[in-house]
Amino acid sequence: MTTTDSPIEPTLSVRNLTVNSAFAELLHGISFDIAPGERVGLIGESGSGKSLTATSVMGLLPETLAANGEIHLAGGHGDLVHASESKLSQLRGNTMAMVFQEPMTALNPLMKVGAQVAEIMTQHRTVPSGQTAAARAVELLAQVKLPKPAEAALAFPHQLSGGQRQRVMLAMAMANDPQLLLCDEPTTALDVTVQAEVLRLIEGLVTERGTSLLFITHDIGVVAEVCERVLVMYKGDIVEDGTVEQVITNPQHPYTKALIAASNLSVVDERGRLHTIATSAITLPTAAELAAALEEPAAPTAPVEPTIATPASASTLDFVIPHQRRTDPDERIIFNEIEGEPLIRVRDLTRQYKRRGGGKLFGKPPVVHGLRGLDFDVAKGQRFGIVGESGSGKSTLMRLMCALDEPTGGSITVSGQELAGAKERELRDFRSQVQIVFQDPMGSLDPRMKVEQIVAEPLRGVSRDESRERVIAQLESVGLDADVMHRHPHQFSGGQRQRISIARALITRPRVLVADEAVSALDVSVRAQVLNLLSDLVDEYALTLLFVSHDLGVIRHACDTVAVLSDGRIVECGPTDDVYDNPLHPYTQKLVSATPSISELAGRARS
Amino acid sequence: MLLTIARRIGIFAATLVAASIITFLMLSILPGNAARVALGIDATEAQVAAQEQLMGLDRPLYAQFFDWFGHLLIGDFGTSTVSGQEIGPQIGDALAITGVLVISSVILALLFAIPMGILSAVRQNKADGVIISGISQIGISIPGFLFGILLVALFAVKLKWLPAGGWDDPGEDFVGFLEHLILPAIALGSVQGAVLSRYVRSSVLEVMREDFLRTARAKGLAPNRALMRHGLRNAAIPVMTVLGLQIASLLIGAVVIERVFAIPGLGSLLLDKVALRDLPSIQGIVMVLVALVLLLNLLIDIAYTIVDPRLRSAS
Repeated sequence: MTTTDSPIEPTLSVRNLTVNSAFAELLHGISFDIAPGERVGLIGESGSGKSLTATSVMGLLPETLAANGEIHLAGGHGDLVHASESKLSQLRGNTMAMVFQEPMTALNPLMKVGAQVAEIMTQHRTVPSGQTAAARAVELLAQVKLPKPAEAALAFPHQLSGGQRQRVMLAMAMANDPQLLLCDEPTTALDVTVQAEVLRLIEGLVTERGTSLLFITHDIGVVAEVCERVLVMYKGDIVEDGTVEQVITNPQHPYTKALIAASNLSVVDERGRLHTIATSAITLPTAAELAAALEEPAAPTAPVEPTIATPASASTLDFVIPHQRRTDPDERIIFNEIEGEPLIRVRDLTRQYKRRGGGKLFGKPPVVHGLRGLDFDVAKGQRFGIVGESGSGKSTLMRLMCALDEPTGGSITVSGQELAGAKERELRDFRSQVQIVFQDPMGSLDPRMKVEQIVAEPLRGVSRDESRERVIAQLESVGLDADVMHRHPHQFSGGQRQRISIARALITRPRVLVADEAVSALDVSVRAQVLNLLSDLVDEYALTLLFVSHDLGVIRHACDTVAVLSDGRIVECGPTDDVYDNPLHPYTQKLVSATPSISELAGRARS
Repeated sequence: MLLTIARRIGIFAATLVAASIITFLMLSILPGNAARVALGIDATEAQVAAQEQLMGLDRPLYAQFFDWFGHLLIGDFGTSTVSGQEIGPQIGDALAITGVLVISSVILALLFAIPMGILSAVRQNKADGVIISGISQIGISIPGFLFGILLVALFAVKLKWLPAGGWDDPGEDFVGFLEHLILPAIALGSVQGAVLSRYVRSSVLEVMREDFLRTARAKGLAPNRALMRHGLRNAAIPVMTVLGLQIASLLIGAVVIERVFAIPGLGSLLLDKVALRDLPSIQGIVMVLVALVLLLNLLIDIAYTIVDPRLRSAS
């Protein structure tokens, strides 16, 4: 379907586009076309230049960056790179429109969503009056399948969920029937089941209206759901261009091969480790260097026929994990029950929140249920995954298990110590035994502390020399050089910062490691490295792992047991592979089917 | 939304009662009493005791408080122990003058701060933006009373365009009223304007980085129009907080400026009464100032609720 040399004028034509900052060239002269009605995916890791490409097309680059080259839209609008602001304003929102990543912040919080949708029509005078714009806005909200569109139009953004806001953004972008729709990671911040719905909606709308689509994402599974053609970006260059089928089943460029291998969490090497892009932890090579490095026979590239080896999570436990599901919401089931003394025992754990105010002047404030009676055990050495979508209660559970919050009822015992109602000084021992790796590698490290101080912080009553020695050893164990000790967190990439977090978590030799979405903010290749590191360390230190995530693939790779959390209850629990291959509860089934998996896509593309 | 406002008003009333108790107690436990002050230092103990009985000061403290507070509620501030005059009308007259002064200085401050703040944000990397920032920085560094004295020295003493001080009733001589108002209003408002323009600037800069402003641009709004339609209302929210604090400090700041310009406002009245040790009057004035500051906070809270839908009732 590549129509570069067809006589039809392409909807979008980019030629030799470069973007420069004051210090460096960020895009190195990329060229591509998008044919009318064609759906093109743009994939690559953070910093590869995907978003720069889209913002260059929209003419919305920050003032500090300068674009050069040519960008043309069908219809003789001239070169957009050198177009005036007023010319670009006429095209934006009318001929080309964009949907951004962050649904929570992309809408004006003080304006009703209907008015925000109507504005794009009155702005370009595509409707005769404000009244028709308002009426049309309601129609558009209905088309993006918002329930009760007339009421939704009068809602403010904070009254809508993330998925609903992204629908509003889409309604806005499609309001004037643009030739070209640009989507920048539109579903990355959404839950998988919501993501699946929004992707279907985008695909449906652009197909129906014949709109050309440029869809940016880091997730190759998402591209395969929506697009026909894929462009792969690496360090400011387009390194591969082909149909989805070609790129997934037969990637040409070494980077693409490595990216696809790293994305595939179900394919592992003989040690049960994921394929990673062969790069050192400190610096990323340029495209050319990488190509050279990966062409060497020793470098790990994607196997042509993937060997589905036993994953890293291969159970080393000496008991059989039962596969249980909930049928009656109020039935009391003890999941993963362990005879004798489990390391962690959770019984009838509830956490309720009182909603402040809640719209009543007098009387009891309404109660919100975070957790509604959880019962489960975790054995020593078990790798226990907790998976759920936003609002399922997984963060609440994580906070309770780390004694960062008090339950409203029930009990949690860790190594025989009761956490519910325990005083802070009684928890000292617990604190050193249970360590956490958080999701946000940027926010969870104090920017004013040096790496040495950060990693050594949990150590108590240790001499300076010993502390330094242990920090060095721990940094080496997570694949960082000892001389990073003297640097500050902002000098590291996301993956490196997560390594620092892991080093900090492990320095007290904990028995339990809690990973809270620990790889969700990382690029796929880095994600694979960090997951491998976690697997290695869990083996080496004989840790019990509690991994909380929304990402099924990650849990499947990292854990031997998984509990599926929905609406404050465990609905299913069992051996990971069993739960994924043979989900029993309807919610788990929905969750599993909404997650695009690479192996499956490759299979689908081949057939 | 009405419920939220009702709750705010309830909190306002409760705070007012608490503040009145504190004000009353503070002035009651100070050494020296009103009876002795009224009689002068030559009075005998017997005379003082008789006067105390006359003024009701021999009653228990809570009874005195309820008496005082009950009368406050119906607008009766009592009579001065020094002059024997009604306190209420005195405060009313002085408050009218201070009110005019404070309101006009706030208007001046806003007229300066909003356009300058926005301009210096929008043109932050350009020469004019930097110059505006510089001017407001200087404005922050000059104390209001000093600026007032400089203004008097220039416009009243040297150029003789405007009077150096005093006050005219607008009903009698409106031009004279304006002439007397200009310099003190500028002196009082300039510092606040400079401070406020810094807040406007940083608030606008903040909002210019927001994703929804990028969305507005992507919809085809030109940069300035996007800022006007989507940015400014959002930028106003943090500025409102600062403005509320500033008006409160203007009420207090007026005390000094009224002295510099010899204006018979609330500040002058308070200082006079302190010099005379007229405790009931001081109590009344302090209570009025406290009530005004609380009322201001209430109005700002209500304004938030109107501007920001996120703060309206959660239901």
